[in-house]
Amino acid sequence: MIAFEHVGKRYGGRFEALSNIDFRVRRGEMVFLTGHSGAGKSSLLRLLMRLERPSRGRVLVAGHDIDRLHVSQIPFYRRQIGVVFQDHQLLFDRSIYDNVALPLDIQGMEPREAARRVRAALDKVGLLHRENALPVELSGGEQQRVGIARAVVNKPSLLLADEPTGNLDPQLSADIMSLFEDFNRIGTTVMVASHDLALITGLRHRILRLREGRLVADEEAL
Amino acid sequence: MSEEESRQPPSRGARAQRTGRSSQLRAWGRHHRAMCRDSARRLIRHPLSSVLTMLAIAIALILPAGLWLTLDSARLLDAELDQSATLTAYLSKDIGEGEAGRITEALRAHEGVADARLITADEGMHEFQQSLGLEDALARLDTNPLPASVVLSPQDTAPERVRQLADTLEEVPGVDEMRLDLAWLERLRRLAELGQRLALALGALFGLGVLLIVGNTIRLAVESRRQEIEVVTLIGATHAFVRRPFLYSGAWYGLGGGLLAWGLLSLGGQWLASPVTALAESYGADFRMPTLDWLGSAVLLLSSILLSWLGAWMAVNRHLADIRPR
Repeated sequence: MIAFEHVGKRYGGRFEALSNIDFRVRRGEMVFLTGHSGAGKSSLLRLLMRLERPSRGRVLVAGHDIDRLHVSQIPFYRRQIGVVFQDHQLLFDRSIYDNVALPLDIQGMEPREAARRVRAALDKVGLLHRENALPVELSGGEQQRVGIARAVVNKPSLLLADEPTGNLDPQLSADIMSLFEDFNRIGTTVMVASHDLALITGLRHRILRLREGRLVADEEAL
Repeated sequence: MSEEESRQPPSRGARAQRTGRSSQLRAWGRHHRAMCRDSARRLIRHPLSSVLTMLAIAIALILPAGLWLTLDSARLLDAELDQSATLTAYLSKDIGEGEAGRITEALRAHEGVADARLITADEGMHEFQQSLGLEDALARLDTNPLPASVVLSPQDTAPERVRQLADTLEEVPGVDEMRLDLAWLERLRRLAELGQRLALALGALFGLGVLLIVGNTIRLAVESRRQEIEVVTLIGATHAFVRRPFLYSGAWYGLGGGLLAWGLLSLGGQWLASPVTALAESYGADFRMPTLDWLGSAVLLLSSILLSWLGAWMAVNRHLADIRPR
């Protein structure tokens, strides 16, 4: 599903955020990406989202070199991946329902079908009863669940998450992670970047460790 | 994802694509309607700043439009003057009425002359008295000091041709002097040309002004919705999708500004109409204050909308270029 082939990323010609990253993720796998802040987790995810381009090597998703996508194709590529952000990136002037419906709006889905999907996604994260609320009326954990609902509403085959439990207490973090496991169980490939080692080592999934831009360990699931 | 798609047999894929395209078109129309409404709502939510922007657009449009209108009616006046461009041939004083008639016929037959009308010395005196209101003073004169004259309409009213004609006709026996009043006509024409160029230059300058006004307003709107733009771009919005609400805002500003300009021009026209007409009448001219006809109104509104739309387009595109992946 994902293949990094000797990928390097430099910023400003000097600072090397990633160097010689080489790994593969199979379809339907769940992978954690870990390391201290600044180890290159976010850079790696940004490459996958095609927010940045590698300085060296190739990034393949579903067999396609995403660096060779034309600018006009990038939006359509991004519609196939669901992304959960650390700061959830919700739109605060819109209701929970509208936030989750956003990816479907962008794709131009017929409103009735979109409503069905939005409610299904909100139901999955346990927030169906809050669909008319505004994001500010929700707790941090609830906001993150809205972010997850928005990422999966489109039924993406690849789900990426950047520190999804960054600001949450351990119990809420575990809840969020088990949500990701649920999506993985129905066949979604999931990649979660997290520095919370205590949390992710208990979950028995493959772990990729980054240190100073290098892949230092690739621990298969126990 | 796309592996599965490519595995489908081609016939199924083609059908899926066709229905996909028509539903895409429906979705596109839906988004257009939604953004048209949404952008109008956003403008209404901040009525004061919206109206101020529209007013700025209107003011930028009024000056060139008003000047153009004035020149347009001056051109009508000019055409009228062209038709009334005449030469006057003053005949020698010792020529009798019979001979004056013959000379008139000769002049009328002359190449380049459209028409000739004889004004005898008596008729000339009569007109003179009437137009100057000097009946009493002139009645005291023993003899008529005025010569007979022939008023000629040239076929070609271009100033040089009229002057040439005057030179040839001066040679006709019995013609004492040719008079033509072209200098002021030429001056007027040059003024009109100058005015037209000025209107064009002002139009270009103030059109640029509209671009900048709307561009700046939309830039601020883009700035305030920066996070939203980033989020929708991250989850797969095309540039067209991101641009759409701002382009509609631009078009609304343009429509509002155009309508305001139209209203202010009509009001200003009405306000100036009576003094302008009175002034023109005092010169004996039939000059009406120009008003925008439906074509002029359409041009004003369309150019306002188009310029504002373009200003919005430039502002959004600048921002989109900023967030393109490196």
